[in-house]
Amino acid sequence: MKIAVCIKRVPDSEARIKVAADGKAIDETGVKFVLNPYDEYAVEEALKLKEGAGAGEVVVVSIGPDAAQETIRTALAMGADTGVLLKADAVGLDPLPVAKVLAAELKDGGYDLVLFGKMAIDDSSHGVGPMVAELLGLPCVSAVAHLEISDRTGKAEREIEGGVEVVEFGLPAVITADKGLNEPRYPALRGIMMAKKKPLEVKDAALEPGGIEVVRLSPPAERKAGRIVGEGPDAVSALVEALRNEAKVL
Amino acid sequence: MAGPLIPAEHQPHLPRERLILTEAPAEERIDMDVVFVGAGPAGLAGAIHLAQLVQRDNESGDGIGEVVIGVLEKAASLGEHSLSGAVVNPRAFRELFPGSSDEDFPFGGPVARESLYWLSERRARRLPTPPSMRNHGNYVASICEIVRWLGEKAQELGVDVLPGFPAGALLTDGERVLGVRTVATGLGREGEQLSGYLPPADVVAKVTALAEGTRGMLSLAYQEWQGIGSENPQIYALGVKELWELKRPLDRVIHTMGWPLPNDVFGGSFMYPLEPTVAALGLVVGLDYPDRTFDVHDRLQRMKAHPLFREYLEGGELVEWGAKTIPEGGYYALPERLSGDGVVMLGDSAGFVDVPSLKGVHYAMQSGMFAARAIFEALKADDTSRARLATYDRLVAESYIRDDLYRTRNVRPAFTGGFFKGAIRAGLATLTRGRFPGGRIDMEPDATASRRPGAVPRVPYDGRLTYSKVDAVFKSGNATRDTIPSHVIAGENLPPEVAEFYAHMCPAGVYEVSDGKLVVNAPNCVDCKATDVVGPRWTPREGGAGPQYKRM
Repeated sequence: MKIAVCIKRVPDSEARIKVAADGKAIDETGVKFVLNPYDEYAVEEALKLKEGAGAGEVVVVSIGPDAAQETIRTALAMGADTGVLLKADAVGLDPLPVAKVLAAELKDGGYDLVLFGKMAIDDSSHGVGPMVAELLGLPCVSAVAHLEISDRTGKAEREIEGGVEVVEFGLPAVITADKGLNEPRYPALRGIMMAKKKPLEVKDAALEPGGIEVVRLSPPAERKAGRIVGEGPDAVSALVEALRNEAKVL
Repeated sequence: MAGPLIPAEHQPHLPRERLILTEAPAEERIDMDVVFVGAGPAGLAGAIHLAQLVQRDNESGDGIGEVVIGVLEKAASLGEHSLSGAVVNPRAFRELFPGSSDEDFPFGGPVARESLYWLSERRARRLPTPPSMRNHGNYVASICEIVRWLGEKAQELGVDVLPGFPAGALLTDGERVLGVRTVATGLGREGEQLSGYLPPADVVAKVTALAEGTRGMLSLAYQEWQGIGSENPQIYALGVKELWELKRPLDRVIHTMGWPLPNDVFGGSFMYPLEPTVAALGLVVGLDYPDRTFDVHDRLQRMKAHPLFREYLEGGELVEWGAKTIPEGGYYALPERLSGDGVVMLGDSAGFVDVPSLKGVHYAMQSGMFAARAIFEALKADDTSRARLATYDRLVAESYIRDDLYRTRNVRPAFTGGFFKGAIRAGLATLTRGRFPGGRIDMEPDATASRRPGAVPRVPYDGRLTYSKVDAVFKSGNATRDTIPSHVIAGENLPPEVAEFYAHMCPAGVYEVSDGKLVVNAPNCVDCKATDVVGPRWTPREGGAGPQYKRM
């Protein structure tokens, strides 16, 4: 089975995000970048499928700046076989140009399965995976929390409001991974050493401009500080009062 | 406890049996030619210079061939466990990157102006800057940025830089160091394997370069195992540092002495502009302080209320907080040898810090570069024995590292027993370029310095200017999981006074006292190693645990 995993380099969820001087991008000074956490599930699932089948190939594809090679190396260290970086210094917010470049790369690759994270934690757009599926004319199941592949068919479970939706599909297909699909492995020292020697192809990506313009970025409004209404049993009535009349949650 | 407290009486032994292994390396081992333990300025400069020497040799034809150079680092990402003031002397950078100019290096700005003050609680009296503290030609810098930059340079040269993998023990055979065993990841509180478990890995190398930083456990264990002594014991200071975004720009480097430290405590503060409105602020205190309730973190919090600092900090924002010990013993505390069979010790692990000028980064880098030269010659000769690697000792002994530390050999020791007497003795030692007082001033280990009871001043933490230890640890970026096994070894049935002494010393709230008993909150630890000097032992824990400094 040949599996492609599309991954993105994103700011660490722990990073302190500041809006850049132009108000339209984030200031990347001192910001640590990581493999998008949802993409980690996708990489792990691909590796598990390959290990389960006893054979196969896992190809990691990313669009981004040169530094995204490091992100690809992380996936290679986890166990992926080869990497492709479609180099673009600036990747805009519009998912469509990104999806077009990826679809062109994947089209003739002979992939049985294309895996994505359900979203990137930097722009939360959820868009690229399903768009690539559409462009390739493949079935797509998004936000998958459980996946089984046997022969040429797959069964995926999606966690929906109040229940689980079970979807069956034929290969090739596009899957986007949700949290809980698996537990991503840590790269071992040996894996990291080996990853440095695995093939990583770098090509220039011709990204179209896209139809979305960023007007303004602003940090969320600061939350009001909490208040301690009292201590001990006497505080219970004050707390109930505050919850009922101020917070209006009771 | 009626009498004085002697910390050494309650301190567990160094767990040498855990740190020096004699069993054969595992079959599934990773082979390298040279492994550097610690991606700080010493380890990275060493790895870079070694890679340069290899490259040059191979370019000249009939070269040495491929040399696998690895750098193990316990932080999850480069620089996250590195903390320094820092005003950096660019000398070692210039030597390591001969084609570059100072603008290419990861520095903030050059030191344009500097002021030294004597503080009282409300006033600041300007003092003349002593020659040793003059910083003209030096640069304000963040060691985190330096380390990240050096890491990129190392990788460009083909060095395997491996963050997230702490070395937990030396692999040995006879007198020879064979390599290191990394620490397992994903253990639970009782040592059970959790779902993300990664077993330890054995890294075998022809030379192991110990560049662990301050109070490196493998370096300490190696010295104890081999009986490597020094004329004076190594002594340490604890520095607590904060990074602030300022409302008002700071245009100079500030150092202070005096308040909030009592006269019988050695130390001082610093405030450096990394950018005009981003400043590093810290307080550094010798761990031989005589008062068992003394608390460096709390003193730093009080210090910020001083008008000198307050005018910059008020309305600003605390961005980061951290702590680290500094080896302060100087010349007489250097190990009598720096190399052995298959091993060398670099940087802070060896004690290359000059206290009067408050410098260590360039000595660390330079020591790494000297080690690289010795290692390269040893690899070329296919002989990594102690005799061959002793070239490193010779290069250090003939260098400015030795000269600078020798010149100031008695300055820090002069301060034992009080600031004013110390200042006079240190002044004479400086004026005579080290000849006063003749010979060597004896030092005792910090752990045997007697501690008397003291008052516990309350510090109001307001969350704007002053921060509790819990808030401070949050600002260190420490996100260590709560289920990690405790990595500190504390004595048992400790008297409450001893527990309180640890609780006050530890800036990160690892130790608390509850009903007179010691409570250990191990995940809080930011690896400063302060209490390891006088009390509970620090041991290496899983990769990525501890702080995540960004610009310290």
